[in-house]
Amino acid sequence: MIYFDSAATTLQKPDAVPAAVAGAIHTMTTPGRGDHPAARQAAELMLQCRTEAAEFFGVPEPDNVILTTNATHALNIAIKSLVAPGDTVVISGYEHNAVTRPLHAIGGVSVRIVNGRLFDPEQMAEGFRRAVDRDVRAVICTHMSNVFGYVLPIDEIASVCRERGVPLVVDASQSAGVRPVNLERWGAAYVAMPGHKGLYGPQGTGLLLCGAGQEPSSLLEGGTGSLSRQQEMPAFLPDRLEAGTQNVHGAAGLLAGLRFVRGMGVERIARQEGDVLAVLARGLRKRGRYRVFDGGESSVLSVVPLDTDPETLADRLAERGVAVRAGLHCAPLAHTTAGTAETGTLRFSASVFNTPEEAERVLAML
Amino acid sequence: MPYYLLLSRSITHAQRMSRVLERAGITARFFRPPMGLTDRGCSYAVRIGEGALSPALEHLRAEGLLPMRVFYAERDGAFSEISI
Repeated sequence: MIYFDSAATTLQKPDAVPAAVAGAIHTMTTPGRGDHPAARQAAELMLQCRTEAAEFFGVPEPDNVILTTNATHALNIAIKSLVAPGDTVVISGYEHNAVTRPLHAIGGVSVRIVNGRLFDPEQMAEGFRRAVDRDVRAVICTHMSNVFGYVLPIDEIASVCRERGVPLVVDASQSAGVRPVNLERWGAAYVAMPGHKGLYGPQGTGLLLCGAGQEPSSLLEGGTGSLSRQQEMPAFLPDRLEAGTQNVHGAAGLLAGLRFVRGMGVERIARQEGDVLAVLARGLRKRGRYRVFDGGESSVLSVVPLDTDPETLADRLAERGVAVRAGLHCAPLAHTTAGTAETGTLRFSASVFNTPEEAERVLAML
Repeated sequence: MPYYLLLSRSITHAQRMSRVLERAGITARFFRPPMGLTDRGCSYAVRIGEGALSPALEHLRAEGLLPMRVFYAERDGAFSEISI
């Protein structure tokens, strides 16, 4: 199979990832409860995962790295910790349902949407400068659109938030492992990311990075192995946000994936993925039967076929052993902003395991 | 052997205290202490030798990882709390 659906989940993983998961399944149990070797090994693994993630993503303390089940879980904690009914928030016009649905569920939230042309970061930054004032409770912004691969000007948006004292939540679902992500440099309140995409971990893993001084609310309550006589969840991290047995086996794989990414470097990963998708973008443009949304070096490329619909084309490619995704990609707002809400798009998304030769083979089918 | 017991707020805190102290050359194993030491339920603690309290607290203070409470364990197994 030629796999171009890594924006959903990376399929090819470094060998160390399944090896780490398998090793953990046979040797590690619940951390922070028992005091036997299997529990201690699990606890060591969890702390190591937090410590290395904290170093890589600019988090002040390992305790502020929360292991979640995915980015959606992490975003729900962040958003519901900051936003209450009656609040005003600012989001970009390229957000995923993982941002817009929690806001809808809170109810009574006034949402200012900063629209802007695709691949025009200066216009987007200016939009945030205009929209963010002291009435705003939080800014929630994706770092990279999961539909178009558009890298939003998050440094500038973070700067606006810092100047105006407004908490920033960054959805790094597509950028973690591909672009520099740094909580402290941005001064963000929270950064959310999955483990199973650009970090090459298993599904069921994710990270919530918590800024210094944040007091997040628990989304789940239950056992933590600490302060057991107390009925309120512990006030300290990570226990406050990690009720119940944690996914240690998944965290073992996530740590292996994280080490792979650190070893390669995000710049090299981004360049390799960008080179592969550039081959596709150039070839599709030449054919003249596709509207190509290409902002340059990115890990995600969306196209709209002009002579059929994206779903039919995706089916046709699947029959020939090519995995892509068609539709709205759980981000209807992004399609509304970009003018593709009627058709959706066909999305190619790369991982570091894709090659330009694979892109050429796909082009030959189109 | 008498020893000191540094009570932590969580396993992560205990692990981090243990790592800092071990890096500084102080043997510091974390473990579950007797529940009678705290009225708040399950906890973790780090055990250090009798002569290591002062340098241990210095290292932990520098890292922002001071223990919640400190106990001295007598030869007979009795604990007495030390103020820090």
